[in-house]
Amino acid sequence: MKHPTIYRRFHTHSTFADGVLSKVIAGFVVVLMCCAARAGELTVFAAASLSDALKEIARNYEKQSGDRVVFNFGASSILARQIEEGAPADIFFSADEAKMDGLQKLGLILKETRQSRLSNSLVIVVAADSPLQVLSAQDLAGDKVRRIALADPKAVPAGVYARAYLEKARVWTAVERKIIPTENVRAALAAVESGNVDAGIVYKTDATVSRRVRVTCEVKPEEGPPISYPMAVVTESSRIEAGKRFLRHLDSVEAERVFEKYGFIVRKQR
Amino acid sequence: MSAEDWQIVWFTTWVSALSTLVILPFGLAAGLLLARRDWPGKSAVETILSLPLVMPPVATGLILLKLLGRRGALGGFLHDTLHLDIVFTWLAVLVSLSVMSFPLLVRSVRVAFEEVNPRLEQIARTLGASDLRVFWAITVRLAARGIIAGMILAFARALGEFGATIMVAGNIPGQTSTLSLAIFQSVQLGQDNHAFRLLAVSVALAFAAVGASEYLARRKWAPL
Amino acid sequence: MKLLLQRICLPLKEFTLEVDVGIQSQVTAIFGPSGAGKTSLLDLVAGLRRPKSALIQLSDRVLTDTARGWNISARSREIGYVPQDLALFPHLSVRGNLLFGYRAASNSLFRFEHVIDVLEIQPLLPRGVTDLSGGEKQRVALARALLTAPRLVLLDEPLASLDQKLKAKIIPYLCRVRDEFDLPMLYVTHDQAEAAALCDEVLVMESGRFVRQGKPDAIFVDYPMSLSAEGYSRRLEGLQSGENRQFSDD
Repeated sequence: MKHPTIYRRFHTHSTFADGVLSKVIAGFVVVLMCCAARAGELTVFAAASLSDALKEIARNYEKQSGDRVVFNFGASSILARQIEEGAPADIFFSADEAKMDGLQKLGLILKETRQSRLSNSLVIVVAADSPLQVLSAQDLAGDKVRRIALADPKAVPAGVYARAYLEKARVWTAVERKIIPTENVRAALAAVESGNVDAGIVYKTDATVSRRVRVTCEVKPEEGPPISYPMAVVTESSRIEAGKRFLRHLDSVEAERVFEKYGFIVRKQR
Repeated sequence: MSAEDWQIVWFTTWVSALSTLVILPFGLAAGLLLARRDWPGKSAVETILSLPLVMPPVATGLILLKLLGRRGALGGFLHDTLHLDIVFTWLAVLVSLSVMSFPLLVRSVRVAFEEVNPRLEQIARTLGASDLRVFWAITVRLAARGIIAGMILAFARALGEFGATIMVAGNIPGQTSTLSLAIFQSVQLGQDNHAFRLLAVSVALAFAAVGASEYLARRKWAPL
Repeated sequence: MKLLLQRICLPLKEFTLEVDVGIQSQVTAIFGPSGAGKTSLLDLVAGLRRPKSALIQLSDRVLTDTARGWNISARSREIGYVPQDLALFPHLSVRGNLLFGYRAASNSLFRFEHVIDVLEIQPLLPRGVTDLSGGEKQRVALARALLTAPRLVLLDEPLASLDQKLKAKIIPYLCRVRDEFDLPMLYVTHDQAEAAALCDEVLVMESGRFVRQGKPDAIFVDYPMSLSAEGYSRRLEGLQSGENRQFSDD
């Protein structure tokens, strides 16, 4: 079941909108979602880059536990805002710590359930049939590359990471005007696949699932920023026990293997 | 309101105005054909012309993206032969605004032409006027109010266009960012105050456009 | 002048217009009840309708010959047309209307000052056409057609919407035009009195066909009132009951 990823929003802290208005809208959303929700159904808001791995993990989990898992994949920045406005998520799985910090400050996630074991790496990709050779960040500044797709570097984690990488490589100012910002990292991938941009920076895990792009450069961990995927149970969830159960499953060896299969880096904690 | 904001307002206004001018000749032609002629398959043409009005704008945007992208039927040709890219540039904004507001213009123009008594056109011909002169001096002059009201409506629609534009042009700061796209992005980034400032400008523009249209509709028509 | 209307065939809604006639007189009336096809015939002569077949010739100039695929467009026929609803351009002033088809006349008879003088419309020039009286509109429409220096003028029931008083006022203008400009005219009417007053010859039309052709006296002796249908009998009733019916200005 697909959840709408766009809700009407009025920021609770703005001078114009007051708390009543946002609660009315959140209440409306809750009513809508409750009409669709059934007992034992877990709603997971997760970063777009996790979509393939999580869907596979959930398929196995549903068979074992009997709980149904329903996903809302999107840019972590957008998902965090939706949770702020009261969207009925049970679990939040973000692509960077900053978004999780934001929710934690507002008391919207259960601190004790927060854990970060997943990491990722960045790659530069071009369309599979493109002859371009973009072997480093410097090549992105060259003339052959006119348009670069990134998840929005202002807020979406993949874009924020990519920008940090480009700044570290000291080419950000040169490539800034070539950037086509997309809503999330999968949209950046799609843009590269379509041939409408010359190159893009996405997660290695995204490049793995796509057959229509070619990886031309893998960003080494020391060249880019540290990437971390925290997950936690949402405070206002009505299925906290089921949520904790699923989080424990995401921690299991079985789930680890699926994540690694898709190219994620799992930090061993034992 | 920062300099970037005013750039967005200015860009939105002039590209909307340009799109209205671009569709005007086609709108006049289509309106005239629909008002004065009948042919087998006319209702099919009417349906196709109405599609952008009825389809979800993002669906229209998707069709445009497929058509105008570098691998698309039209976009591929333009890219390979003329080295011209349309998607993710201001040209894409122009195209999406034009396509989305075209049906509104055609409707208004058609009604305006239908209200012109064809007898006047016939008599003008007996007075020695060429078909072109009949069209400009009689048909268009008498339909002028309706045509202008249609143009204003198309302009207002273009000002507020979002769904097709975000598909085919993206929201590239400084290059394709329109008022609607900027409002959407501000909300996404949690900058609601900024969004409301842009919203206020948006409302003011729409108000002015619709107000002008209403004024024209009410004004008594006077001989020129 | 000679106006040839041969092999004319134009299917209309309820019957087919079929005409085969030569007209020699200067002012010819086409007389008949409404719906007989008179307006359609004028449209044909003016070039506003395409017939199934026709040969239309004005003096030595062939206007339409379907057999040879020959047709001169309406704008080039040099035929003035005063339609029943006058069709004055509402967005132009009287002067604007008059000048619309004005050809700087090589023939000084049709120059601007002369035409407006004959029809006495000088004071109307700066006004808009929508607030003219019925009679004023008639004269302006007529002047507009004359200013194109036509070779033939078609008039479709020019006095139909006017009351008795106005008709009496306008008929002299029509006579004046007839005499001043020496123009052949085709004058459609369902009023015997007008036909008798202005025309040299009368053609009687019924359901798309000419059934009689001849001088006014001869025709109207043979044809009783019942021929000119509704309008005529109503008018007669009005006269007999002493009313002076006012027709609305168009």
